Amino acid sequence: MKLRHYETLYLLHPDLNDEEREALSLKFQQIITDDKGEIVKIDPWPLKKLAYRVQKQTQGWYVVMEYAAPGSTIQELTRNMRLDERVMKFVTIKKDDVFDPAVLEEARREAAEKAEEEAAGAAQGAETSTDAVSDESSVSDEAEVKE
Amino acid sequence: MQRPTRPIKRRRRVYVRRKVCRFCADKNLVMDYKDVDLIRHFITEHGKILPRRITGTCAKHQRKLTTAIKNARIMALVPFTSDHALERGPARR
Repeated sequence: MKLRHYETLYLLHPDLNDEEREALSLKFQQIITDDKGEIVKIDPWPLKKLAYRVQKQTQGWYVVMEYAAPGSTIQELTRNMRLDERVMKFVTIKKDDVFDPAVLEEARREAAEKAEEEAAGAAQGAETSTDAVSDESSVSDEAEVKE
Repeated sequence: MQRPTRPIKRRRRVYVRRKVCRFCADKNLVMDYKDVDLIRHFITEHGKILPRRITGTCAKHQRKLTTAIKNARIMALVPFTSDHALERGPARR
């Protein structure tokens, strides 16, 4: 099955605790890996203030999930997210039509580096989180349109 | 009959600095709906999408920007309008 490069950002209810959020994250990851997809990156954000009220809540937990999966998985994932009341909002975007395994390797290496860094100096505060796989190769040079 | 003398029209040239598309100028700048600080540059205080003629964004990137802004709105990262925003924008007209 052809894998495509996707990214899903979902918003969780602010009352959820760490374990519940972790469990949900694992559940979604399971859906992807069950369909022979690959997880590239999971990036949970700290509790963030929303731009407008969602389900009467002013805050929420955002989680970015980057992965490779066949198209049919997206349906399954969206279905699950719709059913789950704890997921307030979500959006899935296609980052690339084909999945480049090199992206995965790079993400893994970076994740390992990050873990190493954290282990080495936990005392060091604000760590810089560089966007792991942000290169969209489709952005070509001939973008100029004359006015 | 003589036409009323009109002051010679001298075209006053206002030199406007040519606006360049930020995304073309900086290839490292990636369009991302999650990047709220970036998107804020391309919307009004009311939350409307700024036109190309104001921001100077090229057509290609404006198209991508539009979808990025809309995705950000859906995810409650930026408000649809300042009316329902938590951080109050300018008052309602």
